[in-house]
Amino acid sequence: MIWLTWRQFRGQALIALAALAALTVFLVLLGLRIRDTYAAYVTDCAAACSLSSARDAMEDAHFGPLLLSGLLVVLVPALIGAFWGAPLVSREIETGTHRLVWSQSITRTRWLAVKLTFVTLAGIALAAALSLLLTWAASPYDELLAGRFDPLLFPTRNIVPLGYAAFAVTAGTAIGLLTRRAIPAMAITLAVFAVLQILVPTAIRPHLRPAVTESVAFTPDTRVTEFSAGNSEGGGVTINGYQGTIPGAWMMSNRVPLFDASGEQVTRGELGDCLTGELDRDMACLAQMNLHFTVKYQPANRYWTFQWLEFGGYLLLGGALAAFAFWHIRRGLS
Amino acid sequence: MTPVLRSDGLTKRYGRRPALTEATLSIPAGRIVGLVGPNGAGKSTLLNLTSGIIAPTAGTIEVLGARPAASATQLAKVAFVAQDTPVYAGLSVADHLRLGARLNPKWDAALARRRVEQVGLDPAQKAGRLSGGQRAQLALTLAAAKRPQLLIFDEPVAALDPLARRAFLQSLMEFVAELEVTVILSSHLLADLERVCDHLVVLAGSRVQLVGDVEDLLDVHKRVIGARGELDALPPGIEVIQADHTTRQSTLVVRDTTGVLAQLVPAADVERIDLEDMVLAYLTRAARVTAGAPIRGYAEQPLEAQR
Repeated sequence: MIWLTWRQFRGQALIALAALAALTVFLVLLGLRIRDTYAAYVTDCAAACSLSSARDAMEDAHFGPLLLSGLLVVLVPALIGAFWGAPLVSREIETGTHRLVWSQSITRTRWLAVKLTFVTLAGIALAAALSLLLTWAASPYDELLAGRFDPLLFPTRNIVPLGYAAFAVTAGTAIGLLTRRAIPAMAITLAVFAVLQILVPTAIRPHLRPAVTESVAFTPDTRVTEFSAGNSEGGGVTINGYQGTIPGAWMMSNRVPLFDASGEQVTRGELGDCLTGELDRDMACLAQMNLHFTVKYQPANRYWTFQWLEFGGYLLLGGALAAFAFWHIRRGLS
Repeated sequence: MTPVLRSDGLTKRYGRRPALTEATLSIPAGRIVGLVGPNGAGKSTLLNLTSGIIAPTAGTIEVLGARPAASATQLAKVAFVAQDTPVYAGLSVADHLRLGARLNPKWDAALARRRVEQVGLDPAQKAGRLSGGQRAQLALTLAAAKRPQLLIFDEPVAALDPLARRAFLQSLMEFVAELEVTVILSSHLLADLERVCDHLVVLAGSRVQLVGDVEDLLDVHKRVIGARGELDALPPGIEVIQADHTTRQSTLVVRDTTGVLAQLVPAADVERIDLEDMVLAYLTRAARVTAGAPIRGYAEQPLEAQR
């Protein structure tokens, strides 16, 4: 059965290997260039060195290629689900070959088990190779910018792409069993994958662990990227882009209200002169006014907890869909 | 001897549409069974149930003493060639033989090789580029080299031209003689099966209409001709399958299991009936029973075609 699975799968496997080879070259070159930048601005920096200039240089040079590579790392599991998972059973039903292969001396449970295991492992291996390469290539960048928790970066590094791939293959297979047609199965698999990629980071991932809530005093050291307030005198003032003492943390909300000592949100009228629009001057001014604000965040040291939780969640979901597929196929096609 | 196929109240419905209704059968081993009926009668459903591709809605079925497709051992005993003889278009003839060898413990490689040579299949040829006749031969080779106890063919010759049809049936008969298997094959054309089968199952309107050994069936079915009115009251034990009346004369097709017919009617008025007329009588009756709704496909493809 392994022979047949391989014989049916080898064309797709060779295409995937060719694509992987090309991407490996690209990612290794990208990784080397990122290391050059890192060396130039950090390790071998001779003059006018600062963390912020290094960050700026790094971001300017490599943000685009890394973002696109990241998209690819998430896209590949989606494609695996659509092109490997979805046709796995549905194509056989569509062409009637299931009746040929199910009449051989092998139970259809075993047939599905071998096919599904083989293709799922191949999918995981492909996703793992890509994720590993990108994680390696981007590691100086990620370290310098401390943004691994960023919703654009989180799904593209380390182990979560493996979970996506495992889920995508089993989901495609199960959907194919239901639709019995390859093309609709592929479309539905892509749609389900996309919906989860939007739903998980917005509605599920932030709540995997209760966020840390912290009250921060606005001191001369406090750095934010923006103040905003309503246009009227009574408009509440908010701050944006606080990073401060919690590097690498995943802020649950970028925009938080600013409170005075009594716990009331301060208004544009109360701050008056401090809101000129010149950021450094305003920050210094506000630091004198005994203000504070509350931030909610997931600390940086929870990164691996979140990686494992999301990986495990997708794996469980994939396992449940695989169990459904086995139950469905054993019950006999109607 | 255990029957190769035993079913009891076997029913398959798709939604509310019945595909097979309460089929109760017991088919003895060692026969070549012809399964006849118009298109849509439930032939494929019965064969797919027998091979375990699909599961029944109600009723039970046992093939060679076990539930179809229940285990690898059970699967090894039954070979099934589905309608339109599906093969993997992208795999070569040699790949298919390899598939058979890898997936069947009792695979007879010598037989497979010999057959492929005999029918002139190129092992390197992709199965997707074979002609219908060649594909049927490949499917037959796969099924036979598995060394099953029961070989099932669903409309094996429907898509073949007359020449390929004859060649295929001839190959099949050679196999049967060589392998000592029970064979079930279906067709909507009795003419395809008449020459080869010795046991008959007639399906129409999702129900079994007639089943038995061909010899026995021909023994008990008779055509009786008599003056109009003379044959109206026949005793129990004689079942009228079909009755045609003209103003002066009645022609009946009857099933007489008791032998009383000979005592009632002069021998000159009783004729032997041939297989085709007998089957037609049952199909006509079935079509009438399905009140107002003639059996689909029957009108377009009457059984006497292809003679």
